[in-house]
Amino acid sequence: MPASDSLVWVTAVTVVIWAGIFVYCMGLDRRIRRLEGEE
Amino acid sequence: MTKPRLRTTAQWLLGIWLLVVAIAAFHWAPTARGFKGESSRIVFFHVPQAWVAVLAFCVNLVASLRYLRGRDPLDDARAAAAARLGLVFSVLATITGSLFAHVMWGSFWNWDPREVSIVILLLIYAAYFALREAITDDERRASLAAAYAILAFVTMPFLIFIVPRIYFSLHPDTLINTRGAMDMESRMFQVLMGSLVGFTGLFSWLYTLDVRLAKIRLARRRREEV
Repeated sequence: MPASDSLVWVTAVTVVIWAGIFVYCMGLDRRIRRLEGEE
Repeated sequence: MTKPRLRTTAQWLLGIWLLVVAIAAFHWAPTARGFKGESSRIVFFHVPQAWVAVLAFCVNLVASLRYLRGRDPLDDARAAAAARLGLVFSVLATITGSLFAHVMWGSFWNWDPREVSIVILLLIYAAYFALREAITDDERRASLAAAYAILAFVTMPFLIFIVPRIYFSLHPDTLINTRGAMDMESRMFQVLMGSLVGFTGLFSWLYTLDVRLAKIRLARRRREEV
């Protein structure tokens, strides 16, 4: 596989991992905000 | 702007920032000469992870000292949150480091002083959690963990900064070398700095989430006690 193709794949994997972390943290943040509201 | 809205804006900005860093790391920054293939690009992730681990252990120390002074359970929770993140980012730095080692030196593990010292540091902070899990009494656990955190931190500069410089290491020259000069191509340097800022922001976000959760837990426990 040419280097540029593999770089695109690595970028895609990195972006997906980061998007996963981001979505998880946003969800957790929303949940914590709700719990803080209940307190 | 209200606090939650400001927080959400900062989170989205961080999300976009790290997305841009990820793309720039692979498609805008050049590769460094003398490194196999694209292996030098790992610096944009490995160095910020190691930096965040050091930062987290510093926060752990400060929170532990604050606990010993004020005996506030929230400081204990802050110390635990920081150590947890320090441990996670140390593991990530070790993994990215061994991926680089595999490409450059043909093996994931080479018994290099930097590899060994980070694993020792990992074990030291893993023991911090073993200690926390072993004690059931909250106050006793917090006091002993804080005292242990101070001792653990003393080893950190030795293992991270001194040992790898005393012994011969395969590890590439650090960013700030013995001449005190930044020997990095400007685009690489910009991406690295961007990544350092982004990872620091990510640490701060994760840390804040953990502390906010601990605050809720403590408030509930106090209510149950009353």
